[in-house]
Amino acid sequence: MTIHPLFPNVTDRETHEFFEAAAEGRLVFRACNACDHALHPPTAHCPYCGAWDTAWRNAEGTGRLHAWTTVTHQIHPAFPAPYTLVVVELDDAPEVRLIGHMDGTPPLVADMPMEVWFQALPNGPTLPQWRPAA
Amino acid sequence: MLDDETAFLGRDKCAVAGIGQTAFARDSGRSVLSLATEAALKALEDAGLTVDDVDGIVRADVDTVTPYSLAAALGVNNLSYWGDTGPGGVAPCMMMGLAIGAILSGQAKTVIAFRSLNGRSEARLGGSGQRVGAETVGGFGTYDEYYLPYGLLSAGQTFALMAQRHMLEYGTTAEQLGAVALACREHANLTPHAQMQSKPLTMDEYLSARMISTPLRLFDFCLESDGACAVVITTAERARDLRKPSVLISGVAGGAPPDRRAGMMFPVVTRQDMTDLGGRRAGETLWKRAGLGPSEIDIAQLYDCFTISVILQLEAYGFCAKGEGGPFAASGAIRRDGSLPINTGGGHLSEGYVHGMNHIVQAVRQLRGEADMQIAGAETCLVTGGPLPVGSSVVFRKAS
Ligand SMILES: [Zn+2]
Repeated sequence: MTIHPLFPNVTDRETHEFFEAAAEGRLVFRACNACDHALHPPTAHCPYCGAWDTAWRNAEGTGRLHAWTTVTHQIHPAFPAPYTLVVVELDDAPEVRLIGHMDGTPPLVADMPMEVWFQALPNGPTLPQWRPAA
Repeated sequence: MLDDETAFLGRDKCAVAGIGQTAFARDSGRSVLSLATEAALKALEDAGLTVDDVDGIVRADVDTVTPYSLAAALGVNNLSYWGDTGPGGVAPCMMMGLAIGAILSGQAKTVIAFRSLNGRSEARLGGSGQRVGAETVGGFGTYDEYYLPYGLLSAGQTFALMAQRHMLEYGTTAEQLGAVALACREHANLTPHAQMQSKPLTMDEYLSARMISTPLRLFDFCLESDGACAVVITTAERARDLRKPSVLISGVAGGAPPDRRAGMMFPVVTRQDMTDLGGRRAGETLWKRAGLGPSEIDIAQLYDCFTISVILQLEAYGFCAKGEGGPFAASGAIRRDGSLPINTGGGHLSEGYVHGMNHIVQAVRQLRGEADMQIAGAETCLVTGGPLPVGSSVVFRKAS
């Protein structure tokens, strides 16, 4: 029996550009053109200044490790334990934190520098992933 | 938040007149409608009322039993008010708000609030269900597409991340989390209907139990239960003449943290302060509405989906300072002989997981003086819901 991953819905009207950019090897986040505030999870309306003028921006693809958990109790066939979930805060926009999946129990330290890489799921979309910066 | 504390019209105007519950079990062998019906009939019997008195029913958004189904199963002929609230475990406290809103505005006289689930045998909330085959997840405003495809799948994993931040920032320890698990277990050991009644728990057993999602271990997680609870709410004036001592609803409030994030549970990991709960804002409003503060609370039923959620709520509701929830729990304050006994029937961690509703039933038992592990002299009780993505809270008070 083939085990399939969980594919992200890449057609959502608010978030599809995130996955389209990932497929091109770019990391993007949403921000307000009027007040410059990053918006995550992305929304069309900026709650900070009231503008509807929001757009996607390219991120450098670097960040800091904010938190992580090693999952040792498996609850889904697509995610064999142990694996480690990392929460990475973008250097470009600390208001944005993204998730990464790492196999096993990698040695991690709070606030360590992280870098993005792009994982093309077999027969599926591409996910931005994170690893300790080289 | 209301700036004018007198703007809240509900203080002590309504009361819980009846409570009912089914057995809590791993497999009820019955439908959730059957469970809800039993709990509601017991709550009516407890109040000395009948189905002919009921004109309102409120439920949690995730309940698969609708108010109209329950009305049909009970034989309610005069249903004129119903409502849903949530999300999930936030619902029970907010249901008290729906009920008093309906009663004080004249839309209903007698409201049943209920929660019914086969949370172990049918619909497990922890993501343990069997899934095979390709699945597309997220979208449609959930924002789950940013989380589920990475394997961030459950509330437990989300709270594990919050627990790790609390440990990093404040030095919270595994033993402090364990103190919450042990307190709830001791209380369950003294509560005959609790699922863990016959199973004591030691700190060694807590620490040596298997890790689920670091830093959270097996006993940091609540139970998965089949069962239902229901309560009957009416005016305080009417409740006074009914069968049991009435328990007043002094205040009710929900709250969202100032760092707002769209989506459901997972986006809380993006909050700049991941361990700041909506409950903090709920509490600020609640104390004004109820006309008292945390120092006047005798006992509390704090939403314990995980041990860390209790520690965060001890801070959020002002029982201790931010970061001191761990030492507060480990001090013994939350045990039955402490300054703030919590989860006095064992809570979700050891009594049963009825998604917050068993906490309300337990609060009423204590304030009536009829609990199995009765806390002597308890006159006020805080009940909380949630705690993600928003908080909810109620103060109950013994009628004088
Ligand atoms: Zn703006």
